[in-house]
Amino acid sequence: MEENEKTPEEIVLTRLLRLNATVHGVVTGVAAGLLVFIATNFLVVKGGNVVGPHLALLSQYFIGYRVTFLGSLIGFGYAFVCGFLGGYFVARLYNWLVDFREGKRQHGA
Amino acid sequence: MKKAHTSNNHVVIIGAGPAGLTAAYELTKFDRRPIVLERLDKVGGLARTENYKGFHFDMGGHRFFTKVDEVKKMWHKILQDDFLRRPRLSRIYYNRRFFYYPLKALNALAGLGIWQSVLIVLSYLKWQVFPYRCEDTFEQWVTNRFGRRLFQIFFKTYTEKVWGISCSELRAEWAAQRIKDLSLKTALISMFLKPKKTIKTLIDQFHYPRFGPGMMWNAVKEEIERRDGVVRLNTDVTRINRTGSRLDSVAVSCDGQEETIRGSQFLSSMPVTEFVKRLNPPPPPEVLTAAEKLTYRDFLTVCLIVRKPDLFPDNWIYIHDSSVKVGRIQNYKNWSPEMVPDPSRTSLGLEYFCTEGDELWMMPDTDLIELGKREVDRIGLARYADIEDGCVVRVPKAYPVYDSSYRDHLAIVKEFLSGLENCQTIGRNGLHRYNNQDHAMLTGMLAVRNLVLGQQNDLWNVNTEQEYLEELRVYPRPEIRDVAEVLEAALTRVFPKLDRLAFGLSVGMVTGLALFLATFLLVLKGGDVVGPRLQLLSNYFPGYRVTAWGSVIGLAYGFITGFVGGWGFAFFRNAAVFLYMAVIHRRAELHLLRKLLEYL
Repeated sequence: MEENEKTPEEIVLTRLLRLNATVHGVVTGVAAGLLVFIATNFLVVKGGNVVGPHLALLSQYFIGYRVTFLGSLIGFGYAFVCGFLGGYFVARLYNWLVDFREGKRQHGA
Repeated sequence: MKKAHTSNNHVVIIGAGPAGLTAAYELTKFDRRPIVLERLDKVGGLARTENYKGFHFDMGGHRFFTKVDEVKKMWHKILQDDFLRRPRLSRIYYNRRFFYYPLKALNALAGLGIWQSVLIVLSYLKWQVFPYRCEDTFEQWVTNRFGRRLFQIFFKTYTEKVWGISCSELRAEWAAQRIKDLSLKTALISMFLKPKKTIKTLIDQFHYPRFGPGMMWNAVKEEIERRDGVVRLNTDVTRINRTGSRLDSVAVSCDGQEETIRGSQFLSSMPVTEFVKRLNPPPPPEVLTAAEKLTYRDFLTVCLIVRKPDLFPDNWIYIHDSSVKVGRIQNYKNWSPEMVPDPSRTSLGLEYFCTEGDELWMMPDTDLIELGKREVDRIGLARYADIEDGCVVRVPKAYPVYDSSYRDHLAIVKEFLSGLENCQTIGRNGLHRYNNQDHAMLTGMLAVRNLVLGQQNDLWNVNTEQEYLEELRVYPRPEIRDVAEVLEAALTRVFPKLDRLAFGLSVGMVTGLALFLATFLLVLKGGDVVGPRLQLLSNYFPGYRVTAWGSVIGLAYGFITGFVGGWGFAFFRNAAVFLYMAVIHRRAELHLLRKLLEYL
């Protein structure tokens, strides 16, 4: 109730942002997936004798990944999952830490 | 001789200005027969049009522009083809030069000169770096935003002419309707809801009745009478009789005769200070005292007829120059060609802001016309010898003054008035509120809805400043209200700060863990040479190896790197959001300030 009476200025200045973990995970996942997809296809289009030997090292972690068009789709899937997990846990951890810090502050007050 | 009005079952409306006539017009739609009492010999109130030898003089220059749909519909319905769409041009006269208003950069630069422009920029920078710490006065507020030089050129003289007191004494509160009430929410909502097309239209053109606002109000009067309502001119309300909290009748004086008019409901647009004074029995002394402390600014118009077909292209010119007393000059022919009966002539209205009883107000008409002729010649708008005739019209109580204590006094009066069961005050002076014509009309419309439909519209909340919020508050526009609610909800979810420490820690932990796992996975996989590429990280992370122990070191490095990255991201994100909010807030302030000059 008290929160409702605050003006937007007060809220913006005093409240801390909370992140939606799923949204944060999806956004990070999509960004990571696209990065691998584009990076892979860029090298595929560029061509050459040996295509993307360094990027191919990702297969150490992403089993089945290759620097080919099909590989870019596989890479997108892997990167999305990794990005999602990273983003999701960053958001969950962040929210937990913010709750902890705000709770501590309120107790202090 | 005294005679009493027989019927007591009708609505008595005091004042035939925009609010009173609109209320009467609306009442006739509900089959009511209102009786409107007007002290003057013509309708229109503060928006009346005076006629002198066939020349029409609009008292104040009333641009017909509104965002209130009902008002717009009424204007169009009443005036139809006589509601002209007119191009707008208004300039500022300062230091013997004319500046376009709203200001245009090149024109301003040419008018002010390079040196003055440089000084303005330097002054602006100085006040951005060293602003006034508190912004209690209008001077402080404007100076902090535009610098002292621009304040002196474009605000000081004109504001002081209009209000008659120094800008350093003028509390920012008087302009609060347009300035101080500006909040982040309104700024954001205005950004999303204000259509740019409207702003452009507002700048370039406006609607205007062929023969001035008086034409509109005469037509409304005829319409009311056609529907059996009564509009009585030259009828001064001298006493308002009440029994307890109910008004019974009003005593009026008309052509030397006194008369009592009874009514069941009363609407009053007469100045609220006069209203309480005329109550019989009088209200408690503290209400009378409070009412006496509410003040007004008045103005007089020196109407001049010039023997020239064309003088200048503006509809009106703001006179910021302190070498003359005139505050604003209207060129009525440019408002509507029909305002002038003879195409070989032009009519001007020189507006002098004053206070009832002061030197200017008391000056004889002949002296005022002489003053007007000299000043218009001095400015260079017309030659003294070409001015062949003129007259003077005084408009008392034109602007309610928002001084530092008006709010407290008005609250006392308002509280007393809210106790009157069958009476509502409406219009600019009935509410002691700086409402424009359209908002005055709106108060009349809402008062009728309260009266007939039993609605609970708060007339005191009809403002001139927050047009978009007004639309949200007054009108059943669910789509706008929904958008505003969503925006407000989003605002409180999106704009709060990202906690730098928490975000840094969380990104650090995830990055550290990722590097730990990446290293440890390769260690588990084994081989002749374990993770030679990942090993390259040691270029940045001294001591890092692709070993079990190295994965722990990697965890620490990853944590530190992630923490710095996350903390930095949160810092820059917060700064960007703050900057974004500051920019839109300032943009909204500038928009409101641009309108302020017209509002003065």
